[in-house]
Amino acid sequence: MLRPSLLKLRDHHFFFQFRVLYRVFLLRVIDLELLSSDGDPSRLLGQFASVFCSLSFFCTFPVPFLIITRKPVPVPVAYMFEHFFIETTMTIAGLIGVLSWDAAFPDRRDRLVLGPLPVPSATLFLSKLAALFAAPLLAAGAFNLFAGFGWPLVFAVGVGSKFSLLRTLPVYWLTVAAAAAFMIFMVLAVQGIAANLLPRQIFLRLSAVMQAIALCFLLSSYFLGPSFNSPAALNAQEHQQILKWLPAYWFVGLFNQLNGSMHPELVPLAHRAWMALALSAAGALAAVFLSYFRMLPRIVEQPDIVPTLRSSFSFGSSLSSVITLFSLRTILRSRQHRMILSFYVGIGITVIFGFTHTKFARLTPSISPSQTTFLLSSILAVFLAVVALRIVIAVPISLRANWIFQATQVRPACLYHRAVRTSLLSLGVAPVVAILAVGFFVSDSFFVAGHLVIMALLGLMLVELCLFSFRKISFACSYLPGKANLHFAFWFTLLASIGWLKRAANAEAQILGSVSGFVLMGLCLASLAAALHKFSSLQAQNSQQIIFEEEAVPEIVSLKLNS
Amino acid sequence: MLELRQICKRYSSISVVTDVSFVARPGEITGYLGPNGSGKSTTMKIITGLIEPSSGQVLFEGRPIQDDPMGFRRSMGYVPEEPYLYTHLSGIEYLQMVAQLRDMDPARSKERIRGLLQLFGIYGDRDVPMSSYSKGMRQKVLLSAALMHNPSLVLLDEPFSGLDVGTSLILRSLIEELARRGKVVLFSSHELETVERISSHVVILHKGKVVADDTVANLRVFMQLPSLEGIFAQLAIEQDFVAISCEIADLIHA
Repeated sequence: MLRPSLLKLRDHHFFFQFRVLYRVFLLRVIDLELLSSDGDPSRLLGQFASVFCSLSFFCTFPVPFLIITRKPVPVPVAYMFEHFFIETTMTIAGLIGVLSWDAAFPDRRDRLVLGPLPVPSATLFLSKLAALFAAPLLAAGAFNLFAGFGWPLVFAVGVGSKFSLLRTLPVYWLTVAAAAAFMIFMVLAVQGIAANLLPRQIFLRLSAVMQAIALCFLLSSYFLGPSFNSPAALNAQEHQQILKWLPAYWFVGLFNQLNGSMHPELVPLAHRAWMALALSAAGALAAVFLSYFRMLPRIVEQPDIVPTLRSSFSFGSSLSSVITLFSLRTILRSRQHRMILSFYVGIGITVIFGFTHTKFARLTPSISPSQTTFLLSSILAVFLAVVALRIVIAVPISLRANWIFQATQVRPACLYHRAVRTSLLSLGVAPVVAILAVGFFVSDSFFVAGHLVIMALLGLMLVELCLFSFRKISFACSYLPGKANLHFAFWFTLLASIGWLKRAANAEAQILGSVSGFVLMGLCLASLAAALHKFSSLQAQNSQQIIFEEEAVPEIVSLKLNS
Repeated sequence: MLELRQICKRYSSISVVTDVSFVARPGEITGYLGPNGSGKSTTMKIITGLIEPSSGQVLFEGRPIQDDPMGFRRSMGYVPEEPYLYTHLSGIEYLQMVAQLRDMDPARSKERIRGLLQLFGIYGDRDVPMSSYSKGMRQKVLLSAALMHNPSLVLLDEPFSGLDVGTSLILRSLIEELARRGKVVLFSSHELETVERISSHVVILHKGKVVADDTVANLRVFMQLPSLEGIFAQLAIEQDFVAISCEIADLIHA
């Protein structure tokens, strides 16, 4: 039996170790490899928090106008805002959980660095778990920093006594914390179950795919999820099945139950929230606990690295092949690039599905709905694929390894430009056009074949536009955030082109009605693509060097009058 | 022949390399020595064209390398000081990439890659991403990448770093063999015994300046010292290493 002084010393030692490890794990929750080559994790977390705080601030703007009337907001409005804040909190927590995917379990590095140190496994486990929950909960907290104090004032009006705010405020925070925790539990449970059931090598191979799918799923479901904001809609029999799959509504029910503002339609939802919370917590903790103590010894014994699948494809010249294969392998194997691409794919799916299901997207009556969906979604898909790929290739994989491209450059710079073009066409345009061939099942062959030709030409033009000033090798130039404003250009072009999209699809559908029209359109687009190609190639021939280091434009330009 | 003429490299006002001039001849092994931070790797990078010199010229076979940089790169093989590689690629993928970038004949490059991987003993790990390779294995990949196109100029910056005893012996012998076959070999190393044994002549750099450029035998006579280690210690080491080692032991003992 330990004496009290020794116990105190032991506790002090535990907390000290816990604090040190917790801090290390918290900063590593956002994997450095994921977001920046030499990024500062604490600064990065700070940036994330400030983005969420700003969002929270803007979301709180309507609050003064709503509480000044001292009247309770209508139930549908209350449901809408409750649902919005809970769903957004859940998505943020889920996204942070997915981004910190590989931090869920100790890796080989953790084991090798911490193994020889006198750190008990329990301290390691608890600090890791605390860090895993801290990052998403902090993000969720940041999003609710202003909204979480403003909106409960609105929700409290008309509920019970005048002291109802004392109940609504903690209930709101409890609900959003439970909703965020549910998402973290789910992410951990999925990973934990996969880690326990699958052999480690297969788990490592599948883990990357699961992470990308989870990211796409979270983004798409957030933007595409249906909205039921009235008691009637929540009560409707035909909606009951889908409500079973919408956890944000479960927590709306939970909030109202705890707040004392329960309506009958919310009872099953609140019940489901409690069940989901309990099951996900039990599942996640059990899976993580098992994974930890079963996997820890195996982590050191078995390699973390999965052998690559041997592949050799030819994409034209040897230079085009090497650049395309390098790009393909980078996208497939680099988590950082895969996540960026998944983000855009998720947004892309959202935009495509969201847009094609609006009334705005209806074309002329002569065109069938399936053709409408096909035309609009394929134009958007080609656009998003090329632009997303262009954004991804601008992010370097390993700046220090770029010396090999410099030391082995035995061909003119313009040939590298040609090789990058081939890689964009092969990895961006060709797969989308191949997927679009599914259209042969929904429409007549001539219409689809014609459309595929048009899409290939559109892809070619977009690639030429994207490479207009690109004098780099994919993934091999330092990235200067904000210089090219690519992300801004992406969103701006997307929003600006939405209006044109319908007209373009309409015109195409009309033209594809006749062979002569199609030939004329094809010739026009091919000429335009050839002109862009020629112009871009001439530009590339003028540049003698490949850029490996992006340089900031000086803010002050010297006139050199004194030299 | 590789010739450096009054090479200088400055970063802002800091001079890293000052007036470095020496000649490395075909069939000879030139050892390039200097303490950490003396400018060895900077000089190597200037020779490879990765860094532009602030002034001075690098000539290969009598012509400035800027006149035909692509031709120069075709005839150069370089192993950098740090094994920076695209570690998401496997060893064989990386070597295939380098071969294609060098525009080598596919059949020949395939055969050479296979042979080099086998001879260096990493053929079994050829399909594993290099992120799991040890430092020695990465060094072997770099050596293979530097040699597979049969370069006439071989630049090796700390080539023995991370290699096991067996591979070090192979490499030592390989460097001698390459020189015998008429290649220009310039290599830097901290292993003075190896440098002393295989180098035809040595260049010693200290604080960015050449302080010795001669054969080891001549330097021994000139400095009246029995070994290269003694010569190096006298020319390039300012610290009293015995006193410092005692201070370290005292510090951790206190």
